[in-house]
Amino acid sequence: MSLIINKESADKVEKILERFVEESGATYVLLTDMGGGMLFESGADVVSYNGDALAVLSAANYAATNEIAKLIDEESFSLLFHRGNNENIHFTKVSPDVLMIVLFKPFLSLGLLRLKIGKIQDEIASLLGK
Amino acid sequence: MATINLKDKSIRIKLVYYGPGRSGKTTNLEYIYNKIQENDEKQKGKMVSIDTNGDRTMFFDFFPIDLGKINGFALKLQLYTTPGQVKYEFTRRLVLKGVDGIVFVADSMASRQEANAQSFENLKENLAFHNKTLSDIKVVFQWNKRDIDENLIPLASVEEMEKTLNSKYGYTSFPASAETGLNVFKTVNYIAKETVKHVIALNDIKKG
Repeated sequence: MSLIINKESADKVEKILERFVEESGATYVLLTDMGGGMLFESGADVVSYNGDALAVLSAANYAATNEIAKLIDEESFSLLFHRGNNENIHFTKVSPDVLMIVLFKPFLSLGLLRLKIGKIQDEIASLLGK
Repeated sequence: MATINLKDKSIRIKLVYYGPGRSGKTTNLEYIYNKIQENDEKQKGKMVSIDTNGDRTMFFDFFPIDLGKINGFALKLQLYTTPGQVKYEFTRRLVLKGVDGIVFVADSMASRQEANAQSFENLKENLAFHNKTLSDIKVVFQWNKRDIDENLIPLASVEEMEKTLNSKYGYTSFPASAETGLNVFKTVNYIAKETVKHVIALNDIKKG
């Protein structure tokens, strides 16, 4: 099975991500499939991040964390987040096949960001789920 | 899982180097990576490695290659290795998620023939974990370490290896040396070509 993204869906997802970055103040957002294949990226610093490597490592990190959850009898962890000095990173599973990675500055509220992620999550899942 | 983006007209496929510990999977990737860096400055993908202090791959090695166009689609390969050591079963399994093609790197040393067979069985089990079988993907065998001096270390013959691992499947195979580069590019070219053909046929992609 392959993931096929048609032009119309791609346009819509790109717009959603652009708007998300603008409204949330996030630095950068990236969508990857669970196998580590980067699907979309958006944000002011697109050129300065190695999106391919970030997608691969994030998918691996997510998969490994899920295995850890199973080892301790948890279905999954609801919050996946790393705090840095200059940049934080947050991971969200938006559909069974798609992971969203958001980079954001430490002065931004994590709660507010999660709310905004929640708002676009279903929309993205339905656009890429077809 | 191959990703086909009809907007930017790109196809991304995932190739995984599988095989027992120390069979030369990472060496294959390093050889390809170094040669590409030498010859093509446009390829700027970085090699990512998650390994232990002892240089054994713990999770995977990875780098992307842009392969030009096919049927009007830009082709992007993602090359991965898996850890060969038995204890890294969980991470090995995770790397197989979404795989489109496998290079099975078998060790030609006579003493490693059982390890090759075990690893190949393990590959089938781990594909089953992702609800896949060998027939869902493309596979090529690489008989690695053919450069070793047989007077120093006994090697299994290519015929023996074919018989043990490949008699049931009849996959294409290459005697190779990841150390010297013998047939390293031939192997990757072959699996890339076959996997892309498979993905295109599977998804009915027309010229565009």
